[in-house]
Amino acid sequence: MAGEGFYQEYEVFSRRSDTSPMQYQFSLLAPNAELALVMAQENFLRRESASDIWVVKRSNIRKMTLDEKESLQRLDNKEYRNTKGYGYLKKKWRQYEQGMLDEKEIMSWGGKQSDENPHS
Amino acid sequence: MDNAISFEMLTEEEKYKHFIERIEAKSKIEADDWMPEEYRKTLIKLISMHGISEIMGALPEKEWVPKAPSLKRKLGIMAKVQDEMGHGQLLLRVAEDLMKPYGKNRENIMQDLFTGELKFHNVFHMEAPTWADAGLIGWLVDGAAIITQTNMLDASYGPYARALKRICAEEVFHAQHGESIIMALAEGTAEQRAMVQDSLNRWWEALLMFFGPGDSSTTGTSKQDITIKYHIRTKTNEQLRQDFFTKYIPRVLSLGLKLPDESMRFDDESGKWLYRQPDWSRFKEIIKNKGPKSESRLRLRKISYETNEWVREALSSRSSGM
Amino acid sequence: MKILTPEEAIKNNAYKNALTELLYQLADDDFILSYRGSEWLGLAPHIEEDVAFSSINQDTMGHAAMFYQLLENLGEGKMDGLAHNRPANRWRNACLLEKVNGTGHYLNEPKYDWAFAVCRHYFYTSFKKIRMESLKTSSYQPLADAAVRVSIELFYHQLHWKTWFQQLMLAGGEAKTRMEKAIQTVCNDFGGVLGLGSLGESMVTFSLIDSEETIKNRWNCLMESIFEGVSSSLPETLGSMNGDGRNGVHTQDLEAALKTLSEVYQLDPTATW
Repeated sequence: MAGEGFYQEYEVFSRRSDTSPMQYQFSLLAPNAELALVMAQENFLRRESASDIWVVKRSNIRKMTLDEKESLQRLDNKEYRNTKGYGYLKKKWRQYEQGMLDEKEIMSWGGKQSDENPHS
Repeated sequence: MDNAISFEMLTEEEKYKHFIERIEAKSKIEADDWMPEEYRKTLIKLISMHGISEIMGALPEKEWVPKAPSLKRKLGIMAKVQDEMGHGQLLLRVAEDLMKPYGKNRENIMQDLFTGELKFHNVFHMEAPTWADAGLIGWLVDGAAIITQTNMLDASYGPYARALKRICAEEVFHAQHGESIIMALAEGTAEQRAMVQDSLNRWWEALLMFFGPGDSSTTGTSKQDITIKYHIRTKTNEQLRQDFFTKYIPRVLSLGLKLPDESMRFDDESGKWLYRQPDWSRFKEIIKNKGPKSESRLRLRKISYETNEWVREALSSRSSGM
Repeated sequence: MKILTPEEAIKNNAYKNALTELLYQLADDDFILSYRGSEWLGLAPHIEEDVAFSSINQDTMGHAAMFYQLLENLGEGKMDGLAHNRPANRWRNACLLEKVNGTGHYLNEPKYDWAFAVCRHYFYTSFKKIRMESLKTSSYQPLADAAVRVSIELFYHQLHWKTWFQQLMLAGGEAKTRMEKAIQTVCNDFGGVLGLGSLGESMVTFSLIDSEETIKNRWNCLMESIFEGVSSSLPETLGSMNGDGRNGVHTQDLEAALKTLSEVYQLDPTATW
């Protein structure tokens, strides 16, 4: 068995609840993924809840170089991708005596049935 | 990448200029980024000492873990010492990533500790002979640590700043844990009150030394100028010590404790606390591992390291996965 | 029959005696083992593991505190007094759990044995899980409720120790030799852990817990499957080599431990600390 040494680097990620996204926590040293996993929560989440934890061997992560990070920049001219580019609609709908179905409104629809029951 | 003007193609001088521009603009330096040798070395020295001090700092308090006088206190101090180990973990990880280009890892940190190459903080060389010391360490030593650590929360080195953010959040619990022990003693029997006063008297000099010498003229060396230059911290040792006095002296007095330095007073004119300097030559001796508990605490760490060597050996040869 | 409150439990003397005896076993087991675990603080084989291990010790001492609280509610005295002010012969923990971690003292030359720590904790946690399962249907409702709560944290303890146990057993070489020696040491006294003491029959009659035999069989079953997975086998006999802790017979190790544990408390048992 060709050993890689006891001190392997693992990156730890966790999800606070079933609906939260995975979030990076920190790195730890462990001889393998199983031990990394049993040490992860107590090292980084002693006072926080978690509904799932991932450990990833650092050598499996492809990171960006300083040069590559330059490729992350872009111009601020992409209104057409966002609701920002369609802001005028609010005014238009008002002319038709209708409210705007904006992000706040639409995101509030999930599971609201019973609240909005017209019979209540 | 086949950029015509890749960062890698810049001269060392241009890289340095780019680096300084970045830290001036408050952007964070990451582990894999280019950094000047002096910056890397300063960080390694600072952070590995900080990290190993947390690990060594667990030992004086650990003495009181089994002895804590109630179930609640036993649990509280266990959690506190656990955090110290946890802080050591965070900081050593940051230091280890910085050392990687030199082919060094945690093994080297431990060896450097044992040879005396890597120093640990002066306060952790001191004795903690009574239960009041367990409280005082949490209250004032951690209080002092909060002052120095919050001063670096905005450090230019991203991984250190992030580790400190986690650490400072937990230090708030440590300080309250310490305050709670001290307050119970200060409000307790005459013996309990005497115990706190005795502890304060014994720790006073070490607390003054905590922040390091005022300037390089005191002990001959000081890293504070370099750390300020590279935006690792903002305040000098003396400023931090003054901040500590301002925050803690009124609290110490409010509990009916006496300052061990009867000459100490706040000078309105200069806006500074005037105090008797500790014996800085003793400070130099202490951090050379010649303090009262230096040898025995290093011995504990070394025994644990050697006794458990077989565990690390056994699992080094296992490949990942069951 | 369900007993819902301490007041109700106290009415029947025989019931109360069996119940308090059982609660002392539960509380003392967890308290003394978490103390042994806490002596490892700062001395574990790996910094990350030091942190993880300490959480388990805190959980376990927290469980002890829950059981001491149940005793306090039954009129046995304040929980801190129970933990810090009882002579050794009144302790009901199994002798295996009071055994020192290795040679030396926690502040002086502590040559602690990680193989023993892994085996003792792993075997005990497996047993504790089975014991809590049984207590979930205890006739004393406050105890059944506590068992439900305690069980929640045992999943992690079990996973943690199982991982260490399996990895060190499968590592072969020196590790395996050390582990086998530790398994033998633990088994020499594990009979004492499984025992219910002189009031055991009464505990079973009052439906406080399942019988020694039942719990022992379940534990054996669990361990056999674990040992199969690491191509080894559990020693045939489980003894009580170092004494019958359930009936107050203890070792020098407990005497010394109690002295340390109560050192500050005894400076002034009436003071507020």
